[in-house]
Amino acid sequence: MTSTPPIQETPSDTRPAKRDRRRRRKLHLGVNITAIVFSVIWAFPVYWMINTAFKSRPEVMTATPIFLSQHPTLANFIAAFKQSSFLLDLRNSVIVVSGAVVLSIVVGAFASAALSRFHFRGRRTIMVLILAVQMLPGTALLIPTFLVFNSLNLLGTYFGLILAYVASVLPFSIWVMRGFFVAIPFEIEEAAMVDGAGTWRILRSILFPLVIPGVIATSIFAFITAWNEYLVAYTFMKDQSMYTLPIWLASFSNPQTGTDFGGQMAASVLFSLPVVVFFLLIQRKLVAGMSAGAVKG
Amino acid sequence: MRTTRFTVIGAVGTAAVLALSACAGGATNSTGAKGTIGTPAGTGKTITVWAMAGDLSPTTLNAINTKFTKETGAKVNLQVQASWEGITTKVTTALATSKPPDVFDLGNTQIPSYAANGGLLDLTPYKKELQQGNTWLTGLELPATVDGKLYGVPTFAGDRAVIYNKKIWAAAGVTEVPTTYQALIADLDKIKAANTAPDFSAFYYPGQYWYGGMQWVWDAGGDIATLSNGKWTSGLSSEKAQQGLNDFKTFQNTYSSVASRQVDIHKPEHTQMFADGKTAAILGIPTEIPTIKKANPKLTDADLGTFPFPGKSGKTQPVMIGGSDWGIAAKSQNKELALAWAKIASSPDIQNTYVFAKDGWIPNSVEYVKAAQATGLSPLITGFFAAALTSKSTPAAANWSTIEGDLSINQLFSSIASGAKSPADAAKAFDSHADSVLNGK
Amino acid sequence: MSSSSEPVVSGEAVAAAGSSRQPGAPRSRPRKKRNFAPLILLSPAALVLLTITIAPIVLLVFLSLTDYDQKSLFTGEFTGVGLGQYSSIFTDPEFLWSLVRTVLFATALVTASVVIGMGISQLLTRLGTVMRYVVTVVLILAWAVPTVASSLVWDWLFQPGYGVVNWLLTQMRLFGDLTNVNWAQDPVLAYLAIWLLIVWQAVPFISLTLNAAQTQVPEEYFEAARLDGASEWGIYWRVTIHFLKPTLLLVTILSVIWDFNVFNQIWLVSQGGPNNATATLGIWTYKTAFIGFHLGEGAAIAVVTTVLLMIFTAYYIRNLVRSGEEL
Repeated sequence: MTSTPPIQETPSDTRPAKRDRRRRRKLHLGVNITAIVFSVIWAFPVYWMINTAFKSRPEVMTATPIFLSQHPTLANFIAAFKQSSFLLDLRNSVIVVSGAVVLSIVVGAFASAALSRFHFRGRRTIMVLILAVQMLPGTALLIPTFLVFNSLNLLGTYFGLILAYVASVLPFSIWVMRGFFVAIPFEIEEAAMVDGAGTWRILRSILFPLVIPGVIATSIFAFITAWNEYLVAYTFMKDQSMYTLPIWLASFSNPQTGTDFGGQMAASVLFSLPVVVFFLLIQRKLVAGMSAGAVKG
Repeated sequence: MRTTRFTVIGAVGTAAVLALSACAGGATNSTGAKGTIGTPAGTGKTITVWAMAGDLSPTTLNAINTKFTKETGAKVNLQVQASWEGITTKVTTALATSKPPDVFDLGNTQIPSYAANGGLLDLTPYKKELQQGNTWLTGLELPATVDGKLYGVPTFAGDRAVIYNKKIWAAAGVTEVPTTYQALIADLDKIKAANTAPDFSAFYYPGQYWYGGMQWVWDAGGDIATLSNGKWTSGLSSEKAQQGLNDFKTFQNTYSSVASRQVDIHKPEHTQMFADGKTAAILGIPTEIPTIKKANPKLTDADLGTFPFPGKSGKTQPVMIGGSDWGIAAKSQNKELALAWAKIASSPDIQNTYVFAKDGWIPNSVEYVKAAQATGLSPLITGFFAAALTSKSTPAAANWSTIEGDLSINQLFSSIASGAKSPADAAKAFDSHADSVLNGK
Repeated sequence: MSSSSEPVVSGEAVAAAGSSRQPGAPRSRPRKKRNFAPLILLSPAALVLLTITIAPIVLLVFLSLTDYDQKSLFTGEFTGVGLGQYSSIFTDPEFLWSLVRTVLFATALVTASVVIGMGISQLLTRLGTVMRYVVTVVLILAWAVPTVASSLVWDWLFQPGYGVVNWLLTQMRLFGDLTNVNWAQDPVLAYLAIWLLIVWQAVPFISLTLNAAQTQVPEEYFEAARLDGASEWGIYWRVTIHFLKPTLLLVTILSVIWDFNVFNQIWLVSQGGPNNATATLGIWTYKTAFIGFHLGEGAAIAVVTTVLLMIFTAYYIRNLVRSGEEL
């Protein structure tokens, strides 16, 4: 939405209008310059990552940094691709991430529907607890979860790792989706009930579609958590054929095999690519969803 | 380089000193039942072995596995862990499960804590059979021994020697390997004068490199910590240790770049610096030579050389014997097979033909070292074997791994190198921290 | 185990804004008889929830009252220490320093992220389609890079000797020769570098969320304010901020929670150093539990962190609980 202030044109006085126009143009220029400067600064780290990834070895560590490679090469990417078990770990990450996203959405939707639409004792306590859980430091639950999963024989399985990620994403997803549920006016449900729809039907056709933005939010969060997570995956998975991509990226820094920053940057690009693509695809829906949600009332 | 004379001296010297140290530190067999390993039948069974990438090569591991399967009929599920980051958490949690992996490749500085806390199987009844008539290197056996009981089988040993670029040295007019400290710094001065690029280091020595830094302390007669009456006392504030720390600082500041004062050897990778020609020498381990050659294929064996770091004391600087031990999980479901596997890994054939000859490591016993030297050491390996003549190890305390893990020892050296703290202050801070950690805070 | 670094869309403030604007929603309606089928459908999910979420938490609290350590993991032996563990934490200077650091650092992070986020959100409303798209893409790029990778990039950017940031700063001739500055080894610079990293990745979410809410402000309010002769700044303050309040509150609370517990970026860049200078509570918990393996103590620190954070965000929680009662 390009917002330009409405031109105040009074028939008998044109000078304010001219002043306005000039001021508008200066403002426009100033705003655009700010945007350009901001974009350059904000995009710099990503640019540097990609730039280094394409440099040939002697160009990486130079006293004067090279801003555009003179001898660009794909060698770093090829080396990264061949490094230990890239494709295998990629596949594992995709499996775990898909599972985590789907499960978080399903379980989260049901749980938040229950919490927002049904009255039961202790509901308030549960809400506070869910909020509290989100405040735990990231690594705190590693050992307790390990001990619990160990007794349930969930270690070393895809399902176990997926559950671990769902557990960490669930509080947030319930919280977000509940917010959207709460915004749905009860009249809609009432109308459907009058029409004879059962509760299940109401959930499916009416309530769930209205919380799509919450679903998207959950899926982003689950995606990023499962894609980025290292320690739990490394600890819970026993067989190296089931390791995920962050472990691949860490192995790339293994001193024994000798790495250089060019290779590491290429690996980082490969590692970030799916997330970036996912975000770019989702972002339109995201903004649209957010706006739709905000328009209620 | 006077290789042949070196080798001869090396052979006699190594055997003598290593044998002496092995004798002095040898743990007596504990009382209690002796067990036999023999050749357990394992058809249809599989044991799980966790190895660390970069320790033994896949070739060596496969050789052990093949021999094992031939002798017992059991298969091996080999898992090579590619990252040391988070490995203590991974191993600790694995050891806590009821069906853990059977054999673990444990760093010799990390094994004391697993052993002392009950995660590993007591191997004392099988010690004689595992040794197969040899005397293990003290630096590998001592950390694996807690309260007189043995918990690990030495895998291999590595130490640090100077890896230098013959081309750069020759271009500066140095053709002979220095055998004294004075000769070394004279050579480095010449190299420094001949290479004036601002980011060039005559000897690249990262400030956080405590494995190297400790060599200075030991050379001056100091030690990290000593145990007496069951109590550990950290000793870096002693006069001798202080002298060593000051010598380290002087050397580091003179010959290594300013940027290197606070970094470790991996960021940036010091082998990369060497391969890129930004330094004429580094202090490294044997497996870093292939890494350098891979990073810069133009550097061949003829361009590289090794020699032990000469100390101000007149002897070579004492090196830290690093390496691993094979530990067996206390809760392992296949104890006999695991023992058989460890025995094979420690056998003459594997140690001589693979661990030493193929991988270039120092094998785990005095006798194998002698055998290796008898076959004639290549010029690149000689430096490491010569350096191993004089060696020490880190304190065999259960909580030593915490000191390594919390990077306090890295900070000690890097703050001295950068001048952020004086050697006296840095040592004082470290000593008080180490005292509480080592004594079980 | 909540990943503390990846922010997301919020429905909460949006919903709050929505429901606060709903006129005449019937407050008292006849209690409907609910079909219990959904509840039955919910029970497998509830069971899953219970096991994977609640059981470990209960175990964590239990562990915080014991001296569980590595030995306990191997042998199962441990002794109960009770609340003494908590009192010994509060008398440990390392913990108290860590707390101070965390509060100060989190404040610096949240303030910067929200202020810059507000600025960018406003900027976005003034830009033409093309530039708006450019800025949005740039923001998304920063947001999407996983923290594991972005920390590596930061390492490389701030390398002493070869890092491009040192070179650029030296070129500016404002601070002298900075070529060899090692950011990770200087307490202040380490904080600065990590602060830049976190803010860099936090601003996109905040600005995009705020912008989404900002574009919903009805145009009439702006026109009315201009007709009244209000300056641009006055308009921003009185109109925009007024409508943004719920969303602002939400992104701030989220930022507080995430920035208080941030781990990955600090650990990967400075490992909590030098000499624990950057050891915030998250790092301190990790060091206690996973390097020293004092699991009981680590659990207690985690519990204390959570409780403290709840106290800090108490105002918002009260609001949340109240809004839940409306239904």
